[in-house]
Amino acid sequence: MNLSKTQEQSHGLKAVFPFLSILFLIVIMVLPYNIPVVGDIMPYLTLIGVYYWSVFKPEMLPVAAVFVLGFIQDVLLGSPVGLMSLMLIVVQQFVFIQGRQFLERDFIFNWVIFVMLVVGFGVVYWAITSLYYREILDYFDVFGQILLTIAFYPVITGLLGLVKKVYN
Amino acid sequence: MRSFGQRFSAIFFILLSLALLIFGRSQTQLIDQTRAHIFNAFIPAIVVVDIPRVATAGLSDWIKRVATVFSDNEFLREENAELKTQLVTSSELVIDNLRLKNLLKIKDGTVSTITASRIVSDSNSPFFKSMLINSGSNDGVAKGHAVVNEEGVVGRTINVASNSARVLLINDINSRIPVKLAKSGVNVILAGDNSLFPKINFMPTDEIAEVGDQILTSGMGGVFPPDLPVGHVNEITSLGEIKIRTSVNLNRLNYVSVIEYEIASFPILNTPDADTKNTTEPQAGQEE
Repeated sequence: MNLSKTQEQSHGLKAVFPFLSILFLIVIMVLPYNIPVVGDIMPYLTLIGVYYWSVFKPEMLPVAAVFVLGFIQDVLLGSPVGLMSLMLIVVQQFVFIQGRQFLERDFIFNWVIFVMLVVGFGVVYWAITSLYYREILDYFDVFGQILLTIAFYPVITGLLGLVKKVYN
Repeated sequence: MRSFGQRFSAIFFILLSLALLIFGRSQTQLIDQTRAHIFNAFIPAIVVVDIPRVATAGLSDWIKRVATVFSDNEFLREENAELKTQLVTSSELVIDNLRLKNLLKIKDGTVSTITASRIVSDSNSPFFKSMLINSGSNDGVAKGHAVVNEEGVVGRTINVASNSARVLLINDINSRIPVKLAKSGVNVILAGDNSLFPKINFMPTDEIAEVGDQILTSGMGGVFPPDLPVGHVNEITSLGEIKIRTSVNLNRLNYVSVIEYEIASFPILNTPDADTKNTTEPQAGQEE
């Protein structure tokens, strides 16, 4: 506990970079793109952010920060509050349970694990939302979101990698 | 010890999220206000991050306009000539309509435009169809105001902050709008289903709709003024479901208008009692 505290303190302002980077991804997700069809299949960029930082710098992204990020995303998206917080915290805990050492390997391995994670994320997100509205919602667009998230993974992690360099 | 602490906080925040999800369903005022404060605070950041996209879109629009300026000009000249002839006919109809309404003593509600606003944020989600606009209570916007553009009905405001507001689009799964079939005047409900083709609910069994039939607001419920274009019947499925193509292209919204509709009082019947009431009421107001 003391060790992590000193680590966080030594990073100073840099400690908030993971939080700010995911916040930026949230804002990117809610811009009015005005592109037919594509507008409905926005990739889960925040999922990529939470997964990336949970694997590479978990001490910089405490569970409270993930909760706040999920809450903000729900508010900006207009989705039920608590939904994204719940989903993102579960993802972070999944990474912790798997163990960082297991995931902190080469890029392709990480991507493959992420593919499985995002499929589960998309399905559970659809299931909870359907349950919330008590109506089976159309799942066609969820496939689009899953595929786009997988496709965006290298781009977003590449950008987050640039942010991560400040810690080296 | 550290692991225990982490696990405890994870369980705590998971339970907190679940509690918010379950109790937030009731849309309490506290949650509504919190949401409004948060999105209001984020609007400036969203606008700044959006600058490159707006600039790019503006440039591509400009190039498109320059490329089509000659053909557009020709088309507009033809359209202008056609509209001029239609203007004469419609002016005659307006006068006729007013005269007939006066004869019947029909009172129309008043529609006032509160503000024109820009769309600053979009849900971009298959499950939630709402947008944030850059006008709020400081501009006179209140919860339940109708949001329209030049093509027709866009939605209504559901959460209003000081300088921004959330607009629920007509195709959101939570949206229900009282509409009517223009041809027969039958009142029905337009229910969103998150697709671009919301459906008609409560269609009387003895009424028939056809593909292409126009759908207008009925004015019931007091949010939307009557006779605003909503869309037209796009498809009638084998199960008898009537699907509507909205007049407004919900994927290409940039600017909208927030309007307020005030329902007129019931027409006063021409009876001696009503006449006395009619004349005494303003006097009472003057005394105050």
